[in-house]
Amino acid sequence: MEKKLEKQYFAMVFPGFVIFTIGLIIPLMLAVRYSVTSWDGMSKVKEFVGLQNYINLCKDADFRSAWWFTIKFTIGNTIIQNVLALLFAVALDSGIKAQKLYRTAFFVPCLISSIIVGFVWLKMFSNVLPEINELLGTNINFLLFGSGRTVLAGLLIANNWQWIGYWMLIYLAGLQSVPADLYEAAKVDGAGPISRFFNITIPMLAPAITICVVGITTGSLKVYDLLVASTKGGPGRASTSVIYQTYTTAINGRQYGYGSAMSVTLVLALLLVAVIQVKGLKSKEVQA
Amino acid sequence: MTIKREKQKEPVNTQSYTKATFITQIVMTVVALLFVAPILIIINYSFKTKKELYLTSPLSLPSSFQTENYRKAFDKLDLSHTFVNTFFYTFVSVLILALLCGMTAWAIARCRAKFFKFCYIYFIVGILIPFQALFLPIYIIGYKMNLTNTRYGIIFMYVATGISFGVFLMNSFMTTVPLELEEAARIDGCSVFRTYFSVVMPLLKPAIATLVIMQAFQIWNDYLLASLYVSKKNLKTLTVAIQSLFSAQTSDYTTAMAAIVISVLPIAILFMSMQKYFIKGMTVGAVKG
Repeated sequence: MEKKLEKQYFAMVFPGFVIFTIGLIIPLMLAVRYSVTSWDGMSKVKEFVGLQNYINLCKDADFRSAWWFTIKFTIGNTIIQNVLALLFAVALDSGIKAQKLYRTAFFVPCLISSIIVGFVWLKMFSNVLPEINELLGTNINFLLFGSGRTVLAGLLIANNWQWIGYWMLIYLAGLQSVPADLYEAAKVDGAGPISRFFNITIPMLAPAITICVVGITTGSLKVYDLLVASTKGGPGRASTSVIYQTYTTAINGRQYGYGSAMSVTLVLALLLVAVIQVKGLKSKEVQA
Repeated sequence: MTIKREKQKEPVNTQSYTKATFITQIVMTVVALLFVAPILIIINYSFKTKKELYLTSPLSLPSSFQTENYRKAFDKLDLSHTFVNTFFYTFVSVLILALLCGMTAWAIARCRAKFFKFCYIYFIVGILIPFQALFLPIYIIGYKMNLTNTRYGIIFMYVATGISFGVFLMNSFMTTVPLELEEAARIDGCSVFRTYFSVVMPLLKPAIATLVIMQAFQIWNDYLLASLYVSKKNLKTLTVAIQSLFSAQTSDYTTAMAAIVISVLPIAILFMSMQKYFIKGMTVGAVKG
């Protein structure tokens, strides 16, 4: 009887299992396999080159700069988005009127595709914001996508505009689940608002913080769409991310073996970051 | 879980409105206006004529309400194809995901055999590795299996890349299904399938609604997979068409702005009508409960 049930359960899992395996796990294995060949994507033979691709990657200045950009972009996002999302959530939860209206205002940008967000900010920086200089007679440089030095700042603005509301909502839900009597008790004990924030709010928000930190980091490491319609990886190579670089190398440059090696490094980095963050943050979560 | 949260909300709303709250209100109003400004500017641009674009300030209002840009966007985006395609891919993928993920998550939650525990971890790997990181081998496998430039090919990939999150989401809702009902069905002689489809699935409706909106929004906005998988004109999606419009219309972008409004509208409407479920899906795991 037990065995018969197990078979039926197995039949329910099976289709999803197969689709997932073909669509994601086999590609993962293929990436590892191709990464040790010099395949160009067309020829029948895939010449085995050992770890040569990985050795070349270490020497590849373009690839290093792509990683450097991606890391800066990720760290910037993780800090800014977490801090602002939490601040906004606390502000919205402080008893202000029309909370729902504010919530929607912050949230709407994340419904827009990253392609569009990139284009919108391209136009904002080049056409709309310079108008402020005209109006006020000031001379602020708004052409952030125009120079290698400011392009990161411009992209951070665009990306944060898009995603802050999303993470804010997660923090807001977390805040609303903190029992009010905890605050009351702390008040009675004479704890000020700042002490209450760090000793009650932050520890109680720990699960939300874990989700937001991991979500923002993995989301930023895979940045690609945003760049396509805005900077195209430029000026020069200043905003070329790892995926963007992999795309140009593999699809446009027809170096599938080398490109696969790039994908493998990204996958390893993603796994490593997720494991470290989940472990580190989970250990700080309190068991309420 | 929800009932508890709503109960706790009340004391917050009855908090006294102090001076500090008033200052917060003003600061947040300014910030919120800054957030909404780009959206208002897009809408404003989408009604401007080409002449107004070049001659007037970007912040001024259009002199008359004209829909020429929308008509042009309709043609340039080849909306009769791209809109229908995007809608079709999103709809079918989400439908399959709603069926598959619930089934899979339930079997994993209920069957104690080792294989099912392994399955859970196996699916979670897909959340840790976003498909974008593997776009190259995903493209290669699609090419080899003749999935590229077919409707079923891209739908297959949307399902395959969405399934991990779906299983994770549905799994977290399984505790809301009372075991007693399932056992009663079992004693009445229902097979596992019938138990799922006639007893469990109806109870999972809110979870499925959450899954539907979360995935629909991802698939509707996807660019990378769509740009790799469908290059034939009559199979293209809205995001791909919009990207080519952007690169073609860098100077006269009033049409592009109208195109943006057209492409965001459906997902905005879906969000407005299903906001509750969307928020529930986002906050899975974030709230102790």
